[in-house]
Amino acid sequence: MFLNWRRGVIASVLIGTLAGSLLTGCGTGNKASGSGSAGNGGKVTTIEYWHVNSENFGGQTVRDLVQKFNEQHPDIKVVEKFQPNMYLGLMQNLQAALAGGHPPAVAQIGYNYLDYATANLPHLPVEDAAKTDPEGQAFLNNYLPNILNLGRVNGKLEGVPYSISNPVLYYNADMFKAAGLDPQNPPKTWAEVRDMARIIKEKTGNYGLYVQEPSDNWAQQAMMESNGAQVLTRTGGKARATFDSPEAIEAYQLMADMVLKDKTALHATWEEGTQAFITGKVGMYVTTIARRNYIETSSKFKVLTAPFPTFGNKPRRVPAGGNALFIFAKDPDQQKAAWEFIKYLESPEALTTWTKGTGYLPPRQDVTDDPRYLKPFMEQNPLMKPAVAQLPDAVPWVSFPGNNGLQAEQVLLDARDAILGGRQPAAEVLKEAAAKVNKLIGN
Amino acid sequence: MKIAREPGPKFAAIKGYLVPWGCLAPALAFLALFTFWPLVSTLKLSFYQWNMVSPTPKWVGLTNYLEILRSREFWLAFWHTLEYTLILLALNLALPYITAYILSHLVFKGQNFYRALIFLPSVLSLAVAAVIFLWLYNPLAGPVNALLRLLGLPAPPWLSSYRWVIPALAVITAWKSFGYNFIVLLAGLVAVPLELIEAARLEKASNWQIFWRIVRPLTSGTALYVLVMTVIIGSQYVFVPIQMLTNGGPDQASTNLVFFIYQYTFNFFQTGKAAAAAVITLIIFGGLLFLQKRVLEKGVYYEN
Amino acid sequence: MKTKIPWWHFPLLLVVLGSLLPLIWMLATAWKTPEQVFNASLNPWPYPATAANFAYVMGAIPLGRYILNTFIIAFIVTAAKLLTSILAAYGFTQFSFRGRETLFYLCLLSIFVPFTVTMMPNYLFMSRMGWLNTYTGVALPQMADALGIFLLRQSIRSIPPSLVEAARLDRVGHGRILGRVLLPAIKPSLIALGILFFINTWNEYFWPLLMINDKSMYTLPLALQMFTNLEGGTNWGAMMAAATLASLPPVVAYLLAQRYVVDTFIHSGLKG
Repeated sequence: MFLNWRRGVIASVLIGTLAGSLLTGCGTGNKASGSGSAGNGGKVTTIEYWHVNSENFGGQTVRDLVQKFNEQHPDIKVVEKFQPNMYLGLMQNLQAALAGGHPPAVAQIGYNYLDYATANLPHLPVEDAAKTDPEGQAFLNNYLPNILNLGRVNGKLEGVPYSISNPVLYYNADMFKAAGLDPQNPPKTWAEVRDMARIIKEKTGNYGLYVQEPSDNWAQQAMMESNGAQVLTRTGGKARATFDSPEAIEAYQLMADMVLKDKTALHATWEEGTQAFITGKVGMYVTTIARRNYIETSSKFKVLTAPFPTFGNKPRRVPAGGNALFIFAKDPDQQKAAWEFIKYLESPEALTTWTKGTGYLPPRQDVTDDPRYLKPFMEQNPLMKPAVAQLPDAVPWVSFPGNNGLQAEQVLLDARDAILGGRQPAAEVLKEAAAKVNKLIGN
Repeated sequence: MKIAREPGPKFAAIKGYLVPWGCLAPALAFLALFTFWPLVSTLKLSFYQWNMVSPTPKWVGLTNYLEILRSREFWLAFWHTLEYTLILLALNLALPYITAYILSHLVFKGQNFYRALIFLPSVLSLAVAAVIFLWLYNPLAGPVNALLRLLGLPAPPWLSSYRWVIPALAVITAWKSFGYNFIVLLAGLVAVPLELIEAARLEKASNWQIFWRIVRPLTSGTALYVLVMTVIIGSQYVFVPIQMLTNGGPDQASTNLVFFIYQYTFNFFQTGKAAAAAVITLIIFGGLLFLQKRVLEKGVYYEN
Repeated sequence: MKTKIPWWHFPLLLVVLGSLLPLIWMLATAWKTPEQVFNASLNPWPYPATAANFAYVMGAIPLGRYILNTFIIAFIVTAAKLLTSILAAYGFTQFSFRGRETLFYLCLLSIFVPFTVTMMPNYLFMSRMGWLNTYTGVALPQMADALGIFLLRQSIRSIPPSLVEAARLDRVGHGRILGRVLLPAIKPSLIALGILFFINTWNEYFWPLLMINDKSMYTLPLALQMFTNLEGGTNWGAMMAAATLASLPPVVAYLLAQRYVVDTFIHSGLKG
């Protein structure tokens, strides 16, 4: 290792002699992590849970769930920690924490980082954790096989699928009326989206459309693949970036034209875009169903949702968004506590709270269909319907293999800025980006 | 050693070393541990591939250097560093220099008023400055764009525009550092003998001539200090708004060398490449310092 | 000679305006309701003003604790930096030995090492020592400061050598020379430097960000980022209220001691 032990010795001596008096009583220990105790004589195992749920994105629901769990389990104390900048930010902080030797016990891993996390970060595959629990197999049997596959990498179940989402089209019904459009007839294809955006711009002066631009390319993948493209093509264990195909370019160029030529679509950060929609400055907004609760409660106009638009008659393909729960704890007691916590988060009661507080779809069909849990809610909440209806159109969210997955994701983010910011047309940017990604993932 | 008051030459010799080294030891130890040792560690790391987590780094020789030097991002970061530096030199050297000159030699009332208020932003955190400007620059509702629209001027999305993002971030840093540089330059300027200036006035020299011919040469030592600090510290200061507000975006349009190193370390976890970029950056900074020394030393008049 | 040229005040007033406007907008936005924030962003005088943002911030974060954290770290670092700088400056000025100049320039070189170059090894080192989320972790790497050594060395050199020589002839020990002769003579520089160290450490953002992820150990600048990054609509009023609260201690301290701070800066030779 590069950090010589001698530094440790020198530093200790230094502190002891020179700065010791200054520091006495000032440092507080690292309480939250690494305090899993071996002897369990009434001792409490403290574990950390890392999530991406900011205040506007289910943060309160996470706190409620954790509090309930802690009440039910006096021997375990879960500390929740919000990680900014979505799954990318969480991955980055997680890797730094692992390097420092203080990882959280449980973390939400976005489906787009499954490969990267599995290959690069030491963790306990949940398949192995389930084996240590007599009820483990029964627990996993609650899931439909295709859902459980969301948490598998190369056949092994690495994380338990927790949150499932897909992109839908939210629209401002009041603005539709003001523009002379029929709120009962939202656009079904991207050609209609473009027309309606133009009408909204002409009649109301507002932007017609905003497609979410967080630190991932989820919504853009949905556009490209719905036009018949493949972002990543896997053949015989090898993956190739293929987001420079004509179909992908066409989809991206459409978006670019709306931003740059028509000036009917907004190119802004996710934060600014959401703000623009809920303050009535944008008519249509493509984002995840997981934001349903926040958008619904903070908009002062009537919000409706429609399925993700298609390209003509081509089939809709929406990547399954969301995250799986991974175990990073190293200490056996913490691992056990982590597994307990995961089982709790995935229980029908907790999943019901989770769906109501966010908008995520539950990974367990039995919870959705059960009248004791989500059935009444799903029936009463029309905004959820498009998301449920397009579940069969779900495709995997692209996850770049190899050690450079984080950088590959950044290349795509840069490409998005380059296209929508008007640096170059989509064709050139995507060609260049695909070549770069292929190099990064080892082609 | 000058001081020897203990009996016995041998003991004195030892003691003679003990005191000075004892004085230097704490500072040297901290600098060695937390600046120079990491530097060596970084140099070593630049020949390896390592993601900070895997138990064994992999030796890759010069690959990191070659890949860095061949990448578009590195050269973007390089040119942007120059761009930031040029803007900061204008806003944090030239402007405070002239402001300090006006205050010290052309205006006689309100000295304390001006000094106090101009210095004020420099007691704030760069993090505070960054969030204030995040709101000022907000493309839809922020005050800057609200004003521009009121005046009928184009209102660009400052932080996501290729053309504006660097000036916009540089202004944040400049706003925060202006006051400190101003005070340092003022300290140099008030030391310029008034007689010289009065003599020049009698010869009907213009204010600009006085500044350029008399004041500037006499304060070039202070100016050199501010110059070096602006070049070296400026690119580090600018890092905070980059990291907080744009993350190098859009499309790496606001990245600089310091952010590039950060990105490869804590965003991509390619510590070898980050280390290689760090070594190259140090060489560039070293070269700049050397150049500055060579070019400027001739014209510098040291006040002391 | 007093040549009063009043119109030279205009450029100065412009500079003052540039320095103050962002602060005025920070203050104004902190007192606005969300409606006022968006619909009257240009108005620097919110009426009616609301204190809701401050109430929200105080409820959302343990402000007292953060002030304490920030203060403790700033205090430790300032004290340590002054101590190590004074000792080193004494060593570099009062003794002559082989390699003195080389060593001194080596120290100076550390100013030019960007912190991103050293942050990764230091981060790993601190975390292996178990010092993440501690004052030690934040403070320890910054306990020596080359700029401080440099400036104090300059100050000590500007003291008439006869003073020290006289003390030496009287066989006065090193501690006394330092404490009774040198330190009083460079007091203004020490104060200015101390203030500079304190403000800089108080305001530090990046290194604490790496060291601290436990919310109860946050410093004030770190607490700010809790109010950004809220995808879906930053609460700007609350963010500006938090920025105001984070700036209040250094600004108040500065305004109280303003004349003194600026004067010492100007007269202490705190320049290259």
